[in-house]
Amino acid sequence: MNQRAHATTVLARRRILETLISPGFYVAQTIGLVLAYFLVAGFVRAIDSSGFDYQLYPAYELIGRSLVGAFGATFVEKLFSEGPFLFTLYIAFLPVLLYLAVSSVFRFGLEKKVGALELLTYGPADSTSYFLAALIKDILMTAIYLVVLLVFLLVAGVLNNLILGPSFYYSLIILFFLSIAIYAYGIFASSLTDNSASAIAVFLGLILFFIIIMMGSFTIVSGYVRNLASVFAWIIKWISPLFYWDLALRVAEVGNWGMYFIGILLLLVLSTAVLLISHLTMKARGVRS
Amino acid sequence: MIQTKNLTKRYGKFTAVDGVNLNIPAGEIYGFLGPNGAGKTSTIMMLLGIVKPTAGEIRLFDEAYSPKRLDLRRRIGMVPEKHPTGMWTWMTAGEYLQMFADLFGLENSGKRIDYLLERVGLGEVKNKKFSEFSRGMLQKLSIVRALLHDPDILFLDEPISGLDPFGVKQIRDLILEENREGRTIFISSHILSEMEKVCHRVAIIFGGKLMAEDQMKTMLTTLAKDREIHVDLEELPADLPGKVKSLDFVQDATGQEKTLVVKVPKTGDYRKALSKFLIDQDLVPLSIQEKSLSLEEAFVTITKENIDMFARIGGEK
Repeated sequence: MNQRAHATTVLARRRILETLISPGFYVAQTIGLVLAYFLVAGFVRAIDSSGFDYQLYPAYELIGRSLVGAFGATFVEKLFSEGPFLFTLYIAFLPVLLYLAVSSVFRFGLEKKVGALELLTYGPADSTSYFLAALIKDILMTAIYLVVLLVFLLVAGVLNNLILGPSFYYSLIILFFLSIAIYAYGIFASSLTDNSASAIAVFLGLILFFIIIMMGSFTIVSGYVRNLASVFAWIIKWISPLFYWDLALRVAEVGNWGMYFIGILLLLVLSTAVLLISHLTMKARGVRS
Repeated sequence: MIQTKNLTKRYGKFTAVDGVNLNIPAGEIYGFLGPNGAGKTSTIMMLLGIVKPTAGEIRLFDEAYSPKRLDLRRRIGMVPEKHPTGMWTWMTAGEYLQMFADLFGLENSGKRIDYLLERVGLGEVKNKKFSEFSRGMLQKLSIVRALLHDPDILFLDEPISGLDPFGVKQIRDLILEENREGRTIFISSHILSEMEKVCHRVAIIFGGKLMAEDQMKTMLTTLAKDREIHVDLEELPADLPGKVKSLDFVQDATGQEKTLVVKVPKTGDYRKALSKFLIDQDLVPLSIQEKSLSLEEAFVTITKENIDMFARIGGEK
């Protein structure tokens, strides 16, 4: 094993241990699972003889109306066509995804600011092994949580006589790869900045930017600006992980599994490209704050 | 062991390090002195591969050095001025050191950690969380961390700043002991009296330029404008300084309580002649000491001369 790989393994092991002994990860998981519980329970209560009607349960009514307003009725129908689990998956995954991504970005900024990153790089570790270790930790923790969530929802399904449909499973897989790309963007934001606050601001700004592009909010402006914004959005969408996630989901719906795997591959390519840029940025900027 | 050729670092228009040439042989304790902002840290960071030089080259262990050379980097140990605050606070001293031992892939690291902790007097606090450590204890822990992998070169940035006298002595003894074992040591410090005690050679950097570099003794002799001989007497007759002034090698003589202070030329040893003169005067010299320039005085001389020079240049403009 070469020295960088060895350093990455040691640092990743430490990061995983730190995550496992700190309460944050468990708090985020608990929040996710509690949300999942209420969403599944609420769904069951919103079923009458004619089937699921989100208006029958207050919380779902609020969620349903918001989603219809943002994405349209068809989207909401599709989201709940196989039961509550697809929607629950996204909602229950968010706290853990946000916790892992933001805590890594925060820690990166902090370690850079106080000189801990520099201390690690006095030896055989370098900035690349440092961020690869953080990424490995985040990927592993995500996989652990997705397994926990899957088991939780499978049990909930059995207890409520509901099944997890195929869209749940292909969404679960693509969500895992989407999270890798999001973590890569977290590392990219960290490589650009010198402290935790600015790193988190850049990271959340990037994610918000990608969400806005995906939702096509640029189209609300009119005339020349709209055309310009559309062209800009078209260019930008290729660097957005949400674009590949959306693409993979759309092709999976029609059973085009070849394109689905290409979507996953593109997410991995994007993640690798972002990591490479982060590596070069860090190399140019150094590990000192 | 450490060589630099025309090492330069610029940040925009500001030149932090300007064409520094170093040649430090193996086994030397090398002191790197300079006021704040002189370019000390930038130089060290370039030698460590943390900061990329704008120009010039670095050779370590007779090989061209770049940050990519992880094999060379693992032969270096570094003790920064301050331990990162707020990090790894949940770890004990032993766990903290084990993390770095693992990073270096050390075998039998447990024994090495125990040995080094004992050497710096931290053996009993191995299982204590190091977030509870004092500044001095953290500094010692930092030195243990830097020595874990038995590096050939040890860089120390202000190693004794903030330590109590006992801690200063422990670190000084450790530095000397490490050097006796053959380790090359590069120290940057502003506590010049301590540098004087441990360094074989010193360099003074100012405004990014290497102003002086020599063996400690040579530098102090060279920089001294004159030398003083201090003679302690049982009693000091009032007319003695005047009589002493008549000696051909004496430049000046004054009396300070029971001590006769005689200024003599930089070259030659005049203690014997002075002693003979005093005995001829029926006086008993209790002690005769030649007072040379301290490193602190040498440092002030060099930096002040340069500050004055820069001020003059600025004034002419």
